[in-house]
Amino acid sequence: MGFINLLTRNKKALFGLCIVGFFVVISVFAPFITQYDAKKRVTKSHVPPSEEHVLGSTRMGRDVFAQTLYGGRVSLAVGFGAGIIVVAMAVAIGITAGYFGGLIDEVLSSLMNIMLVIPQLPLLMVLAAFIGEVSPMVIALIIGLTSWAWGARVVRSQTLAVREKEFVVAAQVLGEPSWRIILIEILPNLVSIIGASFIGSVIYAIMTQATLEFLGLGDPTSVTWGTQLFNMQKTSAIHIGAYWEVFSPIVVIACVGAGLALLNFAVDEIANPQLRSHVGLKRWKQITAQKEAEAAAQETTAQQGAAS
Amino acid sequence: MGFILRRLVFYFGAFLVAVVINFFLPRMMPGDPVDAMLAQGARFTAEQIANLRLTFGVDQPLYQQFFTYLGDVFTLELGHSTFFSNMPVSEVLANAFGWTLFLTGTATILAFMFGATLGIVAAWYRGGKFDSIASPLSLVLQATPQLVFGIVVLFSLGVTWDLIPISYAYDPELTPDFTSWEFLKNVLLHAVGPIFCIFIVQLGGFLVPMRNNMINLLNEDYITMGKAKGLSNIRVMLNYGARNAILPSVTALSMALGFVVGGALVVEVIFNYQGLGSVLFNAIVNRDYQLIQGQLLIMTVFMLAFNFLADVLYVFLDPRLRKGGK
Repeated sequence: MGFINLLTRNKKALFGLCIVGFFVVISVFAPFITQYDAKKRVTKSHVPPSEEHVLGSTRMGRDVFAQTLYGGRVSLAVGFGAGIIVVAMAVAIGITAGYFGGLIDEVLSSLMNIMLVIPQLPLLMVLAAFIGEVSPMVIALIIGLTSWAWGARVVRSQTLAVREKEFVVAAQVLGEPSWRIILIEILPNLVSIIGASFIGSVIYAIMTQATLEFLGLGDPTSVTWGTQLFNMQKTSAIHIGAYWEVFSPIVVIACVGAGLALLNFAVDEIANPQLRSHVGLKRWKQITAQKEAEAAAQETTAQQGAAS
Repeated sequence: MGFILRRLVFYFGAFLVAVVINFFLPRMMPGDPVDAMLAQGARFTAEQIANLRLTFGVDQPLYQQFFTYLGDVFTLELGHSTFFSNMPVSEVLANAFGWTLFLTGTATILAFMFGATLGIVAAWYRGGKFDSIASPLSLVLQATPQLVFGIVVLFSLGVTWDLIPISYAYDPELTPDFTSWEFLKNVLLHAVGPIFCIFIVQLGGFLVPMRNNMINLLNEDYITMGKAKGLSNIRVMLNYGARNAILPSVTALSMALGFVVGGALVVEVIFNYQGLGSVLFNAIVNRDYQLIQGQLLIMTVFMLAFNFLADVLYVFLDPRLRKGGK
C-alpha cells in the first residue's frame, strides 16, 4: 500500500495517473458519451467539426469522435494486455534465472540477450506480415511475446541482489520451499521495478500497435487509433487539410503516452530516492523557514527585553 | 581480448537465431511457403512461382533446405524482389541503405550531442527551473511515437505552411549529382523534416540517462574534493562529473546507431523518403516476402555490429575493463 501512497503523493505521478485514468474512463463509457456507431456511415464525408459531430467525420462519413472513443477501448486494451504479458514473462524468466543461477541462468540469460539484439519492430513486422491482417488481440500477443527481454534482465539483476540478503538466507535455512521464498520473500522487493517495467511496456505496446496498424499490417475493419491513422493516410486527409481526422488520434496517443511517461518518471524517483531532487529542496526550504522564524522570534524577545 | 572474442561468438549466435527465424517463419505457415504467399494476396507470374519453388527448394528435406538457405545468406543471395521488378534483394537494399544512414545517422548524432549536454546541465542544477521542465518534458517526448511527430510536422510545416517538401529525398526532376551545390541543397531541404522528427524522439533517450548518471556521481566524494580544492564550477562539472557520467551514454549512442536502419521506418513512410523504411513498407504492402526477410537480416546485422562496437568502446573508455581486473 505504501507504494500507492507514494504514487498519489508525487505530483507528476498524480497528473499522469489523471490523464491515463481520464482516457480509460471515456473509452469504457463510450456508448454514454456518443450516440454514433464508430463503424457506420452517419454523415457526409469529411465534414468539419460541428455541434452534431464534435470532431468531424472521415472520408467514409464516420464520426471521428466516436471512432476515437471506441478506438481507445481496443488500443488501451492491447496496451495493457501486452503490458501484462510482458511483465508476467519478464518476472517469471527474470526471477527463475536470478534465483536458481547456474545452468538455468546461463541459458535464460543468453536467451534474453539474443532477444535484446534482434531488432523488435522489423521482427514484429515480419511476424505480422506472415500471419496476415492481424487482429488487435494477435498484435497484443506478438508484442507481448517478443518484448519481455529487457524487463527480464532488470528483474534478474535485482533478484541477484535480493537473493544475497539475510532474510532470504534465513528463509532458506528454515527450509522454506523455493516457490515460497520467491513469492513471499523476493517478489515484494521487486514491486517498483516491476511497476516501472509494466508502464514502460504499456507505452511501448500502444505505440507499436499504432505503428503496425498505420503501416497497414493490422486488421483494417477493427476500430483502433492505429487503423484510424491508417485510413487517414489512405484517404490522404493530410493533403486535403482534414485536420480533425489527422489530429484526433494523434493527440490522444500523445496524451496517453505523456501520462504514462510522467507516471514512469515518478516510479523511477520512488525506486531511486537520489533522483528525487525536490524532496531535498523541500527540506531545505523548511529549514530556512524554521531558521527565519527562530531569528524573528529571537528578535522579538530581544525587543521585548529592551522594552521592559 | 577474451571479452571481445566472447562477445563476437555471442553476436554470431544471435545472428544465427535471426536466420533461423527467417527460415522457419514462412515454412510454419499452412501449405508450402509459396502457397502461403499466394494465399496472402502476393501477385506472381507463373514463371516467378516456379522460380520461388526452386529457391525455397520445397521438395527437399527440411535440413537440406536449411543448409541451402544458410549458404545463400552468407553469399548475400537473398532472392529477388517481386515488387521492384525482379531486382535482386541485395541490390534493392543497397540502393536504399545510404539514404537511411544519412537520415538517422545525422539525427542520432545530433540528439546525442544536444541530449548529453542538456543532461549535464540539468543534473548540475538539479531541482532548478531548467531541470524540472526539461527532464519530464524529454521523457514525455520520448514516449511520443515518431508517428505522431512525423504527421504533425508533415501537416504543419509541409502542407499548411509549405515550408518543407513533403515527399522524396530530392526533387525528382534533378539528376543526382553529389558534387553540385544545388543538388546538395535540395537534399538537405528534403531531409530537414525527417531528421527533426527522429532527433526530437531520441533527445530524451540521451538527456534522462545522462542526468541520472550525473546526479548519482555528484554525490561522490571526489566531486566534493574538486570543489574543496577551489576548482571552477565548469571544471568540476565537465572534467570530474561529465567525464565519468558519459561512459554509459557513449555506449548508448552506439546502440542507438544500431537502430539506425530500423529506427526511421515510420518517418520515412510518412515523408515518402526512399530509404530502407519505405522499401520495407512497400515490400509489406505488396507482400514481397523475400524483400521483407532480407530487411530483417540486414537490420539484425547492423544492430549486432553496433552492439559489438559498443562493447569495444566500453573496453576502450573504461580503464577498469581494459586492465582485465575483476
